[in-house]
Amino acid sequence: MASLTIDNVKKRYGQTEILKGINISIAAGEFLILVGPSGCGKSTLMNSIAGLEDVSEGRILIGDKDVTFASPKDRDIAMVFQSYALYPNMTVAENISFGLEMRKVPKEEREAEVQRVADMLQIGHLLKRKPAQLSGGQRQRVAMGRALARRPKMYLFDEPLSNLDAKLRVEMRTEIKKLHQKLGTTIVYVTHDQIEAMTLADRIAVMKDGEVQQLGTPQEIYDNPANLFVAGFMGSPAMNFVPAKVVEQNGSYALELQAAAPTVVPFPKAEKLAAYVGKSILLGLRPEMITEPQPHKEGAEFVTTANVEVEVTEPMGADTMVITRIQDAEVNCRCNPAYPAAPGKVIELMFDTSKAVAFDEATGQRIDL
Amino acid sequence: MNNNAAKAESAATPAGRPARLSLADWMPKLVMAPTVVTTIVCIYGYMIWTAVLSFTNSRMLPTYKFVGFDQYEKLFNNDRWMVALSNLGVFGGLFILICLFLGVMLAIFLDQKIRVEGAIRTIYLYPMAISFIVTGTAWKWLLNPTNGIEKMMIELGFEDFKFDWLTDPDMVVYCLVIAAVWQASGFVMALFLAGLRGVDGEMIKAAQLDGASIFTTYRRIILPSLKPVFFSALVILSHIAIKSFDLVAALTNGGPGYSSDLPANFMYAHAFTRSQIGLGAASAMVMLGCVLAILVPYLYSELRGERHE
Amino acid sequence: MSNVAKRQTSTLDKVLRVALYATLLSVAFIYLAPFLVMLLTSLKDVEEIRTGTLLSLPGSLNLDAWSKAWSSACTGGQCEGIGPYFMNSFQIVLPAVAISTLLGALNGYVISHWKFKGSDLFFAALLVGCFIPFQVILLPMARTLGWLGIANTTTGLVFVHVVYGVAFTTLFFRNFYQSIPGELVKAARLDGAGFFTIFWRIILPVSTPIIVVTVIWQFTQIWNDFLFGVAFSGFDTQPVTVALNNLVNTSFGGKQYNVDMAAAIIAALPTLVVYVLAGKYFVRGLTAGSVKG
Repeated sequence: MASLTIDNVKKRYGQTEILKGINISIAAGEFLILVGPSGCGKSTLMNSIAGLEDVSEGRILIGDKDVTFASPKDRDIAMVFQSYALYPNMTVAENISFGLEMRKVPKEEREAEVQRVADMLQIGHLLKRKPAQLSGGQRQRVAMGRALARRPKMYLFDEPLSNLDAKLRVEMRTEIKKLHQKLGTTIVYVTHDQIEAMTLADRIAVMKDGEVQQLGTPQEIYDNPANLFVAGFMGSPAMNFVPAKVVEQNGSYALELQAAAPTVVPFPKAEKLAAYVGKSILLGLRPEMITEPQPHKEGAEFVTTANVEVEVTEPMGADTMVITRIQDAEVNCRCNPAYPAAPGKVIELMFDTSKAVAFDEATGQRIDL
Repeated sequence: MNNNAAKAESAATPAGRPARLSLADWMPKLVMAPTVVTTIVCIYGYMIWTAVLSFTNSRMLPTYKFVGFDQYEKLFNNDRWMVALSNLGVFGGLFILICLFLGVMLAIFLDQKIRVEGAIRTIYLYPMAISFIVTGTAWKWLLNPTNGIEKMMIELGFEDFKFDWLTDPDMVVYCLVIAAVWQASGFVMALFLAGLRGVDGEMIKAAQLDGASIFTTYRRIILPSLKPVFFSALVILSHIAIKSFDLVAALTNGGPGYSSDLPANFMYAHAFTRSQIGLGAASAMVMLGCVLAILVPYLYSELRGERHE
Repeated sequence: MSNVAKRQTSTLDKVLRVALYATLLSVAFIYLAPFLVMLLTSLKDVEEIRTGTLLSLPGSLNLDAWSKAWSSACTGGQCEGIGPYFMNSFQIVLPAVAISTLLGALNGYVISHWKFKGSDLFFAALLVGCFIPFQVILLPMARTLGWLGIANTTTGLVFVHVVYGVAFTTLFFRNFYQSIPGELVKAARLDGAGFFTIFWRIILPVSTPIIVVTVIWQFTQIWNDFLFGVAFSGFDTQPVTVALNNLVNTSFGGKQYNVDMAAAIIAALPTLVVYVLAGKYFVRGLTAGSVKG
């Protein structure tokens, strides 16, 4: 187990900069998730940590040791790959013990270790099989087993669940989380799936275009996204961005929305809006903050009701997503399935702005931070 | 080049980086080194060397007295070379056209769910496993006017049958075409058959639902989609034609006279048996020019295609 | 749809189907005929050849021509048959195939999984080597072999075949290794395996199909070679193709077509056997060598 420090790491291929100065540091035992759309540099960063790619500038420290120029085998890192990368010509047992063999661990110890890992992952019955004879989920387990056998300082997971079907993915997700809680190891995990990021991470680094947009705990990132990109990327359905005009009201500031009729909603950190009076900004509001009118919230400080016209409804079982439109922006609202919302009808909705955030339309940056 | 590449790479690494020069890091380059060296020397170096020789008046032994384009001038004033060149035109043109036609037809025929397809395919393709020398020897016997096909037809009752192309200076080049087609057409068939099997089945179903007949489906849908196969076959066949040397050596030995010579035989004869190294080198360079004229556009379009994919 | 098809499977379709089979089978006969004629001729004696026709059957099973072709027919100056040259061919082919295949495998492994600056460019440069007319390199190579002291030797021929075969073997292996996921090599590196360990333990064990294709391709190419054989071999190191050509073109004492044909079949036999036993791989090599990966 070791901490990880990534210090101003840059990576260039010719003229193009893939990583533009990454700074991340996590403590020993933390579960870090690198998340972002494809091409954001998260895989390059992971390969750089593993030593499979050289960095152009900056330092990488594992524990206190500078490993920037160390070769992969000297970094004491294990990795689980997206394609699992199991050696096709070796049995499961040989796959798991190969790394130990390369490190010249005696045979008896290797066998004991294979047994330990197999018990932990419940793959004992598969040890004699070849990878081609395994199902996707079994391969995934073996790939994890191979990483666990070496007891390295740190584990790297490169989109390990993306080749599994939806049900298995949820199961394995839980299993990885349990494993982390049990072993308490340092893990760096790359994914483009924001649900995986939210559920697994101690800390999330949201990346885009070779830069870390925000580094924080899942809750920080969900509640306090640093900019439009992070806000839109994390959370499903995505956060609504409603165009709103900043108005002066009772000596403070508030936001005016063009619902069925112009509606003024209060904003928690109104003083930050001062510079934008009379201008348009984007109000960020999660779908669960726009609901059918709820009696127990009636009259609360940041709650407003307004009428809107329904475009589409999407029943999801527990909730029904009501999709409406405010000034050309599509707005998702999470309503009770019993609430009578039908396409074309004008209904009353309750806007809870206590956790609302505001973004500059031009720069996409948060205004109220 | 390997060394230069390595130097360029180490120069590109950031300043202040500690040297990581263990043997392991050099292994890939070390392993490639023999091939790199022989490729640079034995392909590109030799090409240049031959080019240099073609500008000298070397005869029995290479000398380095430069005579400009004299050898090329001599070459194109040499009747035997001009015969060889025009033979290449006739031979190459017919060989390629007939092979393509036969190959496509046989591939389409074989693609009709034929019961003994495997066996027939094996028969069509076996000549490709044989040396051109053996092919030449066999066809020399078959085309022999006194004992070969001619005699067989006469015995069968066609008294006036005459088939003496092998000894007719005007017709002998067609004998080369017959033998070469026999050898290579099965290969073209195999290429196209592989191509046909790769055609998207749903596309054919769609065409049939659109009301296209089998004939129309092949002509309008399937064959046009095999354009890449067609081009590969064209390049390989012209390559075989230009390099043809052994077939002539075994079938006609260039004769009668030098009426069935091809450039490759001209080159060999002058460079190795007639002590005309300069002239031989010049003819080799012209052959290289022919190959490049076909290859460069092909590779260019291939590479461009790859980039668009 | 199937109803329509059924209705049309009337007489016309049946006639077409019969015509199709007839065409395919007669073409097959035409392809087979030369070999059949060779075989029949090799089993006749000179008298039968003179009186009979190409396809007439031999009176008795006469293997004289075969033994003569193997051990006493004249090839140019000597009269030892093509047997010794048949052995020469093996002495050239076996090491040349082994070395060029091994080099091709290593090169392909480097080009697909250990790329370095210039390795792709080099691969492109190497590909050109598959296409140049070898006439361009004959003269310099002859000089080089002389300097190296291996002119007219088996070693010299092996060297030449390796140098010009590596382009193809590298192409084959590179295209195959391109389909092995890079993650496999990365995983092995993290596991602590080095360049050769990965090649030996991970890559080579899954390479059997491409090794078979490459070996067959190289075997056929080198066995059937005539140009390098005639240009670079000495009297007693000639490959069988050169000896066969000499035998056929040696004209004193009257033409013995039966011996020529027997010799030709002997010279073709090894590649034919390979083709019959492993035709699938042979075809794969042909198409892989021609259509770029």
